[in-house]
Formats: sequence, C-alpha cells, structure tokens
Amino acid sequence: MTEVSVTMQVGPGAVAAPAPPLVVEHVAKSYELDGGRIMPVIGDLSLTLREGEIISIVGPSGCGKTTLLNTLCGLLAPDAGRIRWHGREVAGQPQNVGYMLQKDLLLPWRTALGNTMLGLEIRGVPAAQAEDRCRAMLDQLGLHGFADQYPSTLSGGMRQRVALARTLVNEPDVLLLDEPFAALDFQSKLLIENDTVKLVREGRRSLLLITHDIEEAVSLADRVIVLSKRPTRVKTVYDIALGGDRRDMMAARQTAGFSDYVRQIWADLDVVLQ
Amino acid sequence: MTADIDNAPVPAPASKAMIAPGRRWLRLRSMLAVLATQLVVLAAFLAFWEYATGQNKAAAFMFGSPSAIFKFLSQMAADGSLLRDTYVTGLETLLGFFVGNCIGTLVGLSLWYSRFVSRVVEPFVIALGSIPIIALAPIIIIWFGTGLISKVAMSTLSVVIVALVTSYKGATGVDPDQINLLRTLGASKFQIFRKLVVPASLTDIFAGLKLTVGFALIGAIVGEFMSSSEGLGHAIFKAGSLYIIPKVFAALVATIALALALTFAVGKIEQLLMPWRRQLR
Ligand SMILES: Nc1ncnc2c1ncn2[C@@H]1O[C@H](COP(=O)(O)OP(=O)(O)OP(=O)(O)O)[C@@H](O)[C@H]1O
Ligand SMILES: [Mg+2]
Repeated sequence: MTEVSVTMQVGPGAVAAPAPPLVVEHVAKSYELDGGRIMPVIGDLSLTLREGEIISIVGPSGCGKTTLLNTLCGLLAPDAGRIRWHGREVAGQPQNVGYMLQKDLLLPWRTALGNTMLGLEIRGVPAAQAEDRCRAMLDQLGLHGFADQYPSTLSGGMRQRVALARTLVNEPDVLLLDEPFAALDFQSKLLIENDTVKLVREGRRSLLLITHDIEEAVSLADRVIVLSKRPTRVKTVYDIALGGDRRDMMAARQTAGFSDYVRQIWADLDVVLQ
Repeated sequence: MTADIDNAPVPAPASKAMIAPGRRWLRLRSMLAVLATQLVVLAAFLAFWEYATGQNKAAAFMFGSPSAIFKFLSQMAADGSLLRDTYVTGLETLLGFFVGNCIGTLVGLSLWYSRFVSRVVEPFVIALGSIPIIALAPIIIIWFGTGLISKVAMSTLSVVIVALVTSYKGATGVDPDQINLLRTLGASKFQIFRKLVVPASLTDIFAGLKLTVGFALIGAIVGEFMSSSEGLGHAIFKAGSLYIIPKVFAALVATIALALALTFAVGKIEQLLMPWRRQLR
C-alpha cells in the first residue's frame, strides 16, 4: 500500500532531529447524519509535512478534504488517530498555523488593513506595531494604496490577497489552505500563487494546499497526495521533481516532466462523470 | 511581487472627490424626481379630500378636511398644546424605545453565548411575544400609576421582544466559517463575540430599531388612551370622544411627524455607525 511509504518516514519513535511541523497518524473521522446514521468520511489517513515542504492534496469531490483540514487545525475532533504539531499533540487550536479558504471571509466593516490586523489584535500586539507590520505585508502583496479601503470596493483577486496577508502577517510555520485560489481568474491565480510560494519558501514555512486544480497542485508542490473516494485515505503520493526555479509557476508549467505528472494524477483520480 | 494586480495600476481610494460631477448631478436629479412625484401624489390626495368634503356637510363632519385640520393645527400650535403634547409623547416614546431596545438587544445578543440557555428561554419569549400589549395596559396602570412611567413601560414592552428576536437572529446568523477563522487566529469566545458577532448583527439590530420606532409610539399612545392628562394620545382620545374629527387628524399629523423624525434619526445613526455600507454605492 502506498500510504505506508508516507507513514514510515516518521514513526512514533522518531529520531533526534527536530520533529516535523505536522504528523498525522491513522486519523479517522465520521459525521453523524440526521437519522443517527454514521457516515465515515476519513477512513484511515496518515501523512507527514516536513519543514519547508509544500504538499498539494487532490481528491474526488466530496471525499473529505475540507473535513481533513478542519480536523487538522482543531476545529473538528478526530474519532481516532493522532495529530502532532512539532511532535506534540495539542488540545484545541494549534499555534502558528494559518488557515485560509476559498471564501475570503473578510469582515465587511473592517478595511483591508483592519482585516489584516485581526490576528495580531487578537494576540494583543500593540496597535502601532501591528499596523506597521500589516501595512508592510499588504505592500509586499501588491496592495500598496488599498489598505484603507473596505472589502466591498476591492476585486476578488485583491480580496484574496488581503486574506493571504491576514494569514501571513501572523508568521505561521504551517499554512493550511483549502482551495484558496479556486474562484480567481487564471492571471490573478498565477500571480498570487507565485507570491504565496515565494513567501512560503523564503520564510521556511510549510504548506498544505488542497486544490481541485491538478496543474496548480503539480506546479506548486514538492509532493502531491492523491486521496481516494470516501471514506478517504491516501491513495498515492507523487514526489514532484521538476527542474528550474520552483518559485515561478509559469516556468514550472513549462518544464519537461510537468504534463506527465498531470496526466498520471488525472488518471489516478479516476474522475467519473456522474 | 510588486506586479500590478487586477488592472488597477493607480491606487484609487473611493472618496467623495472620486464621484464625477456628472454622476452626482444624475443622482441628485433622480432624487428630485422621486420627491416631486411624492409631492404631486400628496397634493392630489389632499385636493380630492378638500373638494369631496366641501360638497357635503355630513362628509365634512365625518371625515374632516385638510383646511379644517390645518386650522386646528395652527390653533394648537398657537396655544402651545401642540408642542407640549408632542414633547410628552415624544419623551415617552423615546424612553420606551431606548430602554426596550437596550434590554432586548443585550439579552438577544448574549443568548448567542449559550445554546442551552437560548433553548430554555425560547418558549417563554414566544409566549411573551404573543401577548397583545393593550391587554396589559390596565395592570401597567395599577403598577406604575397614570404618569410618565406607565407610558414608558407600555412603550418598552411593545419594543423589547422584537428587539430581542431581531438581535438574536442577527447573532446566530453569523457565518460559521467566519467563527472558525477567528478560532484559528486564537480568538477567545468573548473576542469572537466582540469582534465578529456584535458588528455582524448590526444590520439586523438596525432593522429592528426601525421597526420598533412605530411599536414604541403605539405603546405610548395606547398608554395615553388608558389614562392621561396630556400627550398626543390624550389629544386624539379627547377630540374623538367629542366628535371633533379634524382635531383627531391634526393630532395624528403630529404623531406621524414624530414617527418620521425618529425613523430619520435612526437612519442617520445607522449611517454613522456603519460607514462601510456607504462605500458600497
Ligand atoms: N457538518 C457535516 N455534517 C454532515 N456531513 C458533512 C458535514 N460536513 C461535510 N459533510 C459531508 O462529508 C463529506 C465530505 O465533505 P468535505 O467538505 O470534507 O469534502 P471535500 O472533499 O472538501 O469536498 P469538495 O471537494 O467539494 O470541497 C461530504 O459528503 C459532505 O456532504
Ligand atoms: Mg472542500
């Protein structure tokens, strides 16, 4: 079974090296439906996210990707298995983890700056210092001059950039992203992918990206994990070895091996029209 | 990284100065058109009323007439009773509106905190909400006397349940993903309440405020009907029992003016408290 190869890399009796940011072991999760029926969503899932690594997760629609992400960041409790952040199991929300969805979830009553400041404000960082950091982050993401506008006056791509700034300004070690760019047009998507990868790699952060877009999955990631249908488990893991600059999404898409990976993963997903 | 995004090379803060003069004129013109049409409709209605009651003495007695109403209005203004009655009813309404909305909104919002408590409370709220306030009036007068307090109490009771229900609806309508986001940012339950639930409920709270202006006024006037020596309700009741129909209408005009003024004030406060909604246009 292919999933074993992932679990074997870091066992419970790990070595002296610092523990990887995220280790998931045999996690299972089910929902109780209205009639009292139990629907298993995550079957038995294990994976390891190493420091500085980017993993893309693809899987059939409705297989439980969002459920997995919500379980990882402590919003849902797993039925079984262990989730260890930097070697430790945490109760509730793990620290230093950034979370971002397809919906930008910006608060309409806060400006771009106010939205970006949310995390620092919650943690009690002094307002002046928080503002400086947030303005710098917005500038870095190409939003210079838009800091004082309300979300309703920004385009979809800009709103998602503000959401990214809100996530990154907290300096998370690990980012958990659930189809964050799915709603964007192709150009905005490529640009924001580039910026995301650059900031993740520069900051030695780790990234777990859920996506439906196989090309996005391959161009960004060091590894692509394919999930099976519900109840989901790891079906196959692909190590993506593309030459060239891995920070340039357009270049990555033009490398020799790219389309082979895409074709293989597409076949592996066995998507059927329903 | 510095690439321009979304074809917006120039930072364009949306300010008043951005609106081209032509567009401002267009907006002004459509506003004027609405206003002019409203005035025409009103004038036509008044003219018809005046004409119809001028033809027929009995009709004039039964329905009053705009000119008679105006006569009474200026007479009441001259002897000071118009201002006095409007002030009295306005004060009762405002106090009832304020107290009722404060209590209702506080309770409604804080019910967000506990699913358990809100489920316990729910049937009681529905039961209280179904009581016609007028049925309580005699008891209120026994408890609070015939002065200001009993009218404020009537007004408060007319408002409080609506305020509770609308603010609770606003608080529980918050997007669960948004709550999850704040949780992953490390927010405590109180921080989620203060930074998310309260501001997100403002839209519903203000919808409730606008609705309850009328309810507060009804409460105060019903209270005055029951027993009072002053106020617009008192004036309406007295003129009605003496069959002075135009004077009833004159007091009604003052009542409507009061309701409009309060609604206008609530709208202004809403604009002040929710500036992000102005930028939408
Ligand atoms: N709160 C819930 N209660 C019951 N069932 C749920 C709940 N949330 C999700 N489900 C079900 O669990 C399954 C997995 O949902 P999930 O959202 O995790 O899938 P997904 O892989 O993210 O799907 P998509 O690719 O469409 O985003 C679906 O069948 C969904 O209907
Ligand atoms: Mg999903």
